[in-house]
This record gives sequence, structure tokens and C-alpha cells, in this order.
Amino acid sequence: MSKTDLLSVIPIFILTSAAILILFSIAVKRNHKVIYLITTVSLAADFIYIALFSAKTKWIIEPLFIIDGFGTFNTGLILLSALAVSMISYAYFEQREERKEEYYILLILATLGAVVLVISKHFISLFLGLEILSVSLYAMITYLRKRERSDEAGIKYLILAAFSSAFLLFGMALVYASAGSMEFSGIAKHLASSSSMSPVVFAGLGLMTVGIGFKLGVVPFHMWTADVYEGAPAPVTAYIATVSKGGMMALLVRFFVVIDGYRYTALMMAFAVIAIASMFIGNFLALRQNNVKRILAYSSISHVGYILVAFLAGGTLGVQAVTFYLVAYFITTIGAFGILATLSDRDRDAEMREDYKGLFWARPWTAAIFTAMLLSLAGIPLTAGFIGKFYIVAAGVGNGQWLLVLMLAVNSAIGLYYYIKIIATMFEPYEKERPSDQLYPSIYIVSGVTMAVLTLLLVWIGTNPSGIMDLIQAFVRLN
Amino acid sequence: MEVTFYIASAVAVYATIMVITRHNLIHALLYLVLSFMAVAVVFYILGAPFIAALEVIMYAGAIVVLIIFVIMMLNLKAEAVEQERKWLSRGIFIGPAVLSLILLVELLYVVTASGVSSSGYPMVDAKAVGMSLYGPYVIGVELSGILLMSGIVGAYHLGRQKKKIVHRFLEKAEE
Repeated sequence: MSKTDLLSVIPIFILTSAAILILFSIAVKRNHKVIYLITTVSLAADFIYIALFSAKTKWIIEPLFIIDGFGTFNTGLILLSALAVSMISYAYFEQREERKEEYYILLILATLGAVVLVISKHFISLFLGLEILSVSLYAMITYLRKRERSDEAGIKYLILAAFSSAFLLFGMALVYASAGSMEFSGIAKHLASSSSMSPVVFAGLGLMTVGIGFKLGVVPFHMWTADVYEGAPAPVTAYIATVSKGGMMALLVRFFVVIDGYRYTALMMAFAVIAIASMFIGNFLALRQNNVKRILAYSSISHVGYILVAFLAGGTLGVQAVTFYLVAYFITTIGAFGILATLSDRDRDAEMREDYKGLFWARPWTAAIFTAMLLSLAGIPLTAGFIGKFYIVAAGVGNGQWLLVLMLAVNSAIGLYYYIKIIATMFEPYEKERPSDQLYPSIYIVSGVTMAVLTLLLVWIGTNPSGIMDLIQAFVRLN
Repeated sequence: MEVTFYIASAVAVYATIMVITRHNLIHALLYLVLSFMAVAVVFYILGAPFIAALEVIMYAGAIVVLIIFVIMMLNLKAEAVEQERKWLSRGIFIGPAVLSLILLVELLYVVTASGVSSSGYPMVDAKAVGMSLYGPYVIGVELSGILLMSGIVGAYHLGRQKKKIVHRFLEKAEE
């Protein structure tokens, strides 16, 4: 490895060393506060390193990694999301679990997996990144062993994720068998050599779509979403919804752009059907739900559908729209689950709609932040979610994807209903005394500050999107 | 050479089907070993003797031993011995024995028949595997280490606490 190679993988080194440091720290003495500090400091340091020293030029570490603007931007996004999730985790796990320290190792390793995913240009790094992410998530989902639902959620995720990995592997094997290369560029070269796709490659890509679709939670493969979201601890749910899905989305975009999958109408048609089905089914399933975690799960299915619209539009604008929507969606989702985590008590998460009754009168600030997050998910103007949708529509219209754009508009209207329903619940008259779950009010300060920062970001991006858009345009370019 | 490949693959597929259709764990395990062996023979025929050896050592050896450990830990009662004797009746061994005999004959034929490389594929020996693992793919090896680390940390946490597992549907039925 050359010196530049080493400098380019320093973000991965930092994460690995942080995980090992935490292991040693646990061996000496279990101290939640110290380990929390190591986690946050290393994630923040990693982000600062990327922000300061990342070159916008492309650097390739043969044969596994490509470090370019797109990868760097997504790495930064993943690191910041992991940082925000670890911020809300402290207060959450402090009062719920006696052995909280391993959680941070798993969090860091999962983040490492996602980072590997977004900079990979080879099937091997793709698969290893995906597996590091998944294996860490199995344990994170089941982390609160005393909870009733956690085992169920963990087992469901374990079996389905392993199964979808098998699909992905078999698809890769088929593609490799006919392309003779596991590098994305090598596959692209093979595909470019003939005008039509051979059935073997087509079957391979189809099987890979199953594996990728599972991770994204899009419609034919969405069954796990609601149960896993419900059973996992609230910060972990936020993590699955953002880092896990976002990492996979970034990978899908890179893979498709490199192999130029946009040429194949059959493939595009399949993704269009998946996008439309995800939007509709996600929204319809959410309509009748009373469980806020499940509502957010179903809404995440439809949000991935929205992102796929921008993905299908393709081109530089489409990729930038995907990235922008991911930024907006990450902020909003972590905020919403952060509020959920703050309101939860020792035994169960605040997941039913009744838990939010009269919240506006009891804790106006919390309710205001939650309202902002929900409005952003619904895509109301002045929030980041609106600008995100605006860019998706712009990308879709620019490419003449009228059907998809129309479906997106219809679904935004449907989605409005259940978000508004939660908000309306918060304004209902205040009936019973909420049980005082504020065991250590001081540890909620960190969560509170994180929430406030996320809300400010949400409104700032919503009202003044040019700053973040310039950043994305500077980093995210095709080729 | 083509024929040997297809025979070994057929054995592998048949053994795997038997694994997932057996109700008895020990019987399934017998076929599982066989399935690994058949895959190893397939690797050997395709010109990858090193991977074939690894397949036998790691899967048919280590992983099956681990599964046997798990089964042993689950059956600690006195009647388990009697039960085990019942499971391992003579008839059970006929199927796996026939299949492994096929594999043995085939392996002997392939080894004695002049050279493996005549299958048309280039031979991949241990040195080539090592050179590529510790050459260009060294980051991949390190990432596998990290993968194992996350697995171990997770398994440690989940295995530490004991908990009565009640599925929510079962719980409802009890009420």
C-alpha cells in the first residue's frame, strides 16, 4: 500500500481503533460514561478528518475501494448519523440495561460496515461491508434482552438477512461467472461489449436486486420492517432506518452508475414497479396503525420508494437528489426516533399513539420538535423534507418520469393523513398524569441538545437549502 | 471429466435436500457432512484442490463438530443415551454410506486418471490463494477479522443473560 492509500483509509482505521480501544477499556473497567466519550470523540474526530483532509479527487485503492466525492460525502453523512444516534443512546441505555458498553462497539463496527459499503467498488468489499453491518445489527436489535419483543425482532432480522445475503451471493456468482470480474468496472466493461444482456447476467442482477431490496426494505421484501422497527430499541431503530438503508442506497447508486444499468429497460421497469409498490403499500399500511414505531416503519418503506424515483431519474441531478433526500431523511428520522427514545420509560418504548396524548400541554418543546420532524416527513414547506421532495420531483420531471412523479405526489397526500393524526393526538386535551419517568433528568440534556441541533438543521435546510446543495454539488458528481 | 463433475454435484444436491427434509437432527447432520464432502470433490474437479481441502477441514471438520457439541449440550438427560441409540440404528447409515462410496470411487478415479488440470480450468494452488489474499485483498482479510469481532461481541452479549423466551402469540394463548 502506498502512502496515499493509507491516508485514504484513515477513516476506517479510526473506527477500528475506537472499537478495539473500547474493548480494552471494558476489560479494565466497565464505565458507561468513558466508553460513551470514546465513541463520540472518535466518531467526531473521524468526521473532522474527512471534512478537513478529504480530497474531492478520485483515489482508487485497487481492487477494493474507490474514494471519490460521492463516497466521501456519504461517509461523512454516515459518521454524523452514527454520532447523533450515539448521542441519543446514552440517556436511553443508561437506565435500561446493565451491560451497555458492548452496544457502542457494535455501533462503531456497524458504522464501519456502512462506510466500507459506500466506498466499495468490488463485490468482495460490498459483501464484507454488508455483513459487518448486518452482523452488528443482529445483536443491536436484540440488545435489550429483557424486552418481550426484542428476541422476535432479532431472529426475524437474522433469518431474513441471512436469506437475502444468500440471494445476493448467488446473484454475484452468476454475474461473476459470465463477466469474469467482480469489480464494478470490469462488469461494466463486459456489459458494454454486447448490446443486450445475457440471461445469466440478467438473472444475477435480478437476484442481487432481491438482496439489496431486502436491506432497503422496499415492497416485495419489506415484511421484516415493521416488526424489527417495533422490537428494536429506539436508537437502534433510528440507526437501521438511516445508516443501514442509506449505505445500501449509496451503493446501489454507485453500482448502477458504473455498470450503466439505465440502458436496460427491463431492469428499470422492475425498479419502477418496486418504487410505486413501495410508495403505495407503505403508505396504506401506515394508515391504519396506532403504533408510532410501526407507522414510522411503514413510512420508511414509502420514503425509500420516493428515493427510488430520484434514483430512476438518473443522471447527475438524480444522484444529487438522492443524496439530498438522504440528508433530509437522516436528520428527520433520527430526530423522530430521538423524541421517541426520550419519552420512553424503563419497561417499554413510547410507541403507542396514546402515549403522545396531550404531549403538547405537558412538554411543549418536545412536542414542537416532534411536530417539526413529522411535518418534514410529510414534506410540508419550510422543512428539509419538502426541499428533498422538491428535488426529487425536479429530477423526475427533468427526465420525463411523469408516472413516477404523479405517484409521488399522490402518495405525499396520503402520507399527510397519518402524520397529521399523530400531531393531532399531541394537541388533544391532557388527561392523565404521565408517569414521571425522569429518572436522571440531567442525562437527558445531551439528548435534548442533539434534538435541538437536528431541529435547527431541519429548518435551516428547509428555508435555505442552497448551502447544503452547493456542498452536494461540489462532492457528488458522476465520473 | 464432465461426468465426474455432474455426479459429484448430483450427490451434493441430493444430500442437501436430505439435510433439510430430515426431522432428526443427527440424521440431517450425517447428510450435511456428505454434502460438504461432495462440494469438496466438486472443487477438486474444478481445479481448486486447496479450497477442497479447506472445505473438508473447516466445514466437514470444525463446523460439524461444533454442531455436535450443541446437540450434546441440549441433550443432557439420562434417556438421551437410549434415544441416541435408537437414532443411530443401522438402517440410517445406508443412504450416507452409499453416497460416500460414490464420492470415494469418483475421487480415486479423478486422482489416478492423469492429472486434474485436464478439466480445462487452470489449477489454483495454495500459493496462488495466499498470494492474492495477502496481496491485493489484504484489506478484505482484515475486514473479515472485523466481521468476526462484531459477531463475537454480539454473541457474548446475547449469550450472557438468561431469559425465558415467550413468543407473543404463545403468551396470548396462555391468558
